[in-house]
Amino acid sequence: MTTSLVVAPPVVALATAVACLLVRSVPRLQRAVSLVGVVGYALAVAALCARVYPATTLAYQVGNWPAPYGITLVADPLSAFMLALSALVALPVLVYALRDVDPVGQRVSFHALFHVLLLGASGAFLTGDVFDLFVWFEVTLMASYGLVAFFSGPAGTLAATRYVVLNLLGSSVMLLAVGGLYGVTGTLNLADLARWLADPPAGAHPAPVLGLSLLLLAVFALKAGLVPFQWWVPSAYAAAPAPATAMLAGVSKKVGVYAVVRLGFTVFGAAHPGVVAPGLAGGLLGVYGPVLLVLGGASVLVGGLVALERPTLEETLAYSSIGQIGFVVLPLSVAAAEPSLRAAGVAAALVYALTHSLAKPLLFLVAGTVRDVAGTTDLDDLGGLAGRSPVLAGAFLVGGLSLVGVPPLVGFFGKLLVFRTAALAGDPVVLVVAVAGALLTVLYVSRTWNRGFWGERTPAVETMTAPDRVCLGVIVALALCVLALGVGFDPVYRFAGAAGHVATDAGRDAYVHAVLGGGG
Amino acid sequence: MTEVVLAVALGVLFAAGTFLVLRRDLARVVFGVLVLSQATNVYLITVGGVGGAAPILGQGGGAVTDPLVQALVLTAVVIGFATTALLLVLVYRTYQEHGTIDLDDLGEAMR
Repeated sequence: MTTSLVVAPPVVALATAVACLLVRSVPRLQRAVSLVGVVGYALAVAALCARVYPATTLAYQVGNWPAPYGITLVADPLSAFMLALSALVALPVLVYALRDVDPVGQRVSFHALFHVLLLGASGAFLTGDVFDLFVWFEVTLMASYGLVAFFSGPAGTLAATRYVVLNLLGSSVMLLAVGGLYGVTGTLNLADLARWLADPPAGAHPAPVLGLSLLLLAVFALKAGLVPFQWWVPSAYAAAPAPATAMLAGVSKKVGVYAVVRLGFTVFGAAHPGVVAPGLAGGLLGVYGPVLLVLGGASVLVGGLVALERPTLEETLAYSSIGQIGFVVLPLSVAAAEPSLRAAGVAAALVYALTHSLAKPLLFLVAGTVRDVAGTTDLDDLGGLAGRSPVLAGAFLVGGLSLVGVPPLVGFFGKLLVFRTAALAGDPVVLVVAVAGALLTVLYVSRTWNRGFWGERTPAVETMTAPDRVCLGVIVALALCVLALGVGFDPVYRFAGAAGHVATDAGRDAYVHAVLGGGG
Repeated sequence: MTEVVLAVALGVLFAAGTFLVLRRDLARVVFGVLVLSQATNVYLITVGGVGGAAPILGQGGGAVTDPLVQALVLTAVVIGFATTALLLVLVYRTYQEHGTIDLDDLGEAMR
């Protein structure tokens, strides 16, 4: 049974990125190559999903070096779910970008950066090695730096500088934690780490793993833009071109979320209570629970509150994105604290991540279109967009209502599962935070809608040009996708359930077994 | 003895890096980031053990230095080199765009 399929998504993305650079003197060819590449990526991801669903773990050993010594790439339902999510975002966003990004920018850098971003994210989703995770993070970040500084104007340069400085510090901390883990356990392979933590050899001192794992958690929170590491988010999102922002919100942030799930549940969850630090109830994950609750809860509240008073569409959406990632993390905190809810909590987080990854790019693309046609996204200068361009406004409404959680849109199920997980755990804090967050979401979505889309037409809206047909088509397609996944939610739920199973003890055993082989 | 010297050096490097990162001058912040990432690299080297023999089969004996961390550091150095170059370009662009790299003056524009 061949496992080469595991490397297909990153290889396709890498090949496309290189090809886009090679043919950049022929813009039309470059666009075609880029489009074919992203379709190929989606096909590779679909094939991989079909292989690993419902409960297969494929391990690809690079160069056939056996597991703990070589480089391992692993595809299991969790990785496949994240890959499917990025493919689902990447395809429409690229089509939008083909029309929207200015031709010079496309020729020089956009396509290469776009595919390198996909490459880094896919690598991070597939890697079975904590140092490789660091490297893939850097690959993703390198592309993100380029996309944030894309316009190289005053705002973009500053936003990119802030983004790079923060992430370089984050990288140093991550490297420190990775080195520390290697020093303590003598291995970097995720499966081998899990095995070591489950049963440390006699004479080993696993206590430092606690601090190191929390350092890693801080870095992942920085990548995901959780409070108190959210400072880079609004400026970076406002500075990047709309399709790039859609990718940053839809794919890059989810890499941080994925890393929390993979490291937290597959690796650190393996440590038995009391092994790492005696007297620690619930083991390593028991510590993750309250920490994630604070990070997620603070994100939900800060993101929601600040989104209420931001002056522009993009900034409102950027702060909303901070709050929504908080919603993704809330069920994770429940799952970490309560072993019986691991699969359900992770599945809820993944469904929420998917709903956010569809709705937020949709909203950012609407904001980008509004900027193109009306010349501004300042809510003071907008008004009456609903009458001027009903299709655009309708798509915005679908995305906004999905964030709010109105059935039958897919966002409804995201919210439902988050609330269900919180209710099952019987944790009043999580419930109160989630309800407050949901209320804030209703408020800022309706505020944006009232100020931007209803009311008197302002001069900017009155004189705006018609939106580009293709861009509008992409936006409508995304809105239909939000609707379709909500109506046909069952397969999504089953896929997320299969991915959530990875977080359980049985799922971890299957992972370790697939990577390290039978005897090991 | 080597361990003590390295531990002290690491402490000084991390302290100096943190101090520089907290400065107002963007160029110093870059140097701080640089010092911190180099401190991390030195720390990684110490993880593999210092003063052991070369890890070649049939050469020497007894304590062997772990070569894996050195490979990790090599990767980290290359990545750090690229990102630092990019960061310096961005700082230069910031100076071109805003005429200053003092973070207090840039504060208004960063909002």
